[in-house]
Amino acid sequence: MVTVRLFGMTKMLAGNQGTLSLALHDGKRVKDLVAVIDAAYPKIGELLQKKKVLVSVNQDIAHEDLEVHDGDEIALLPPFAGGNQ
Amino acid sequence: MSLEQVTKADQPVTGDEAMLVRVQREDFSIDEELRRVRARSKRIGGIAIFLGTARDRSKGKDVDGITFEHYEGMAQKKLREIRERALKDFGVIELLILHRYGEIAIGDNIVLIIAGAEHRAEAFQACKWAIDELKQITPIWKLEHTTEGEVWVEEHP
Repeated sequence: MVTVRLFGMTKMLAGNQGTLSLALHDGKRVKDLVAVIDAAYPKIGELLQKKKVLVSVNQDIAHEDLEVHDGDEIALLPPFAGGNQ
Repeated sequence: MSLEQVTKADQPVTGDEAMLVRVQREDFSIDEELRRVRARSKRIGGIAIFLGTARDRSKGKDVDGITFEHYEGMAQKKLREIRERALKDFGVIELLILHRYGEIAIGDNIVLIIAGAEHRAEAFQACKWAIDELKQITPIWKLEHTTEGEVWVEEHP
């Protein structure tokens, strides 16, 4: 199981849950995590696919091929308040 | 992460430096923060300040309050990175960055950047770069309370 922290609009789209506990059965990479989230929360999944929501691992933006490990600090980051100018 | 990749921004900061980069709920005193920057060096001869405040209108809608949420830990880390890059790349002597979180009333302070340099050109450049960079890389989110409901800014990609 990995724990994923949610903020802002992703928290709202997950029914105001601050964290998700997810089981990764088919691979341990960020893209596998995204697939699990997409199945459970399609609206968040769509934003992840469009790269509007980014995944961070241990407080750095993560590439989809990065492997996640037990104890990693994982979060979903919606667009920041400043946006794109 | 290899040892080489661990930057100073990853390290816990204590003492005076910790006061120069803060994410806090409470309001701040611009005079007090200005004194903090001036006290860092007598070489400072030009200081540029950016103060962001809560406005009552956004994208054509009336706003009656704002709530800021941040990612504790990562937000501070990104602000430390911005300070370090400003010191290294813009030649400023000191750069202070504060950002508030929680509920902010219209007209109240949100974010403060103070850049202190030998001369004004570096201070202006660093101050502008720092607020632009803050908005790009810092995990802070803004919920606007409007007459038509609450809206996470950038909610509709």
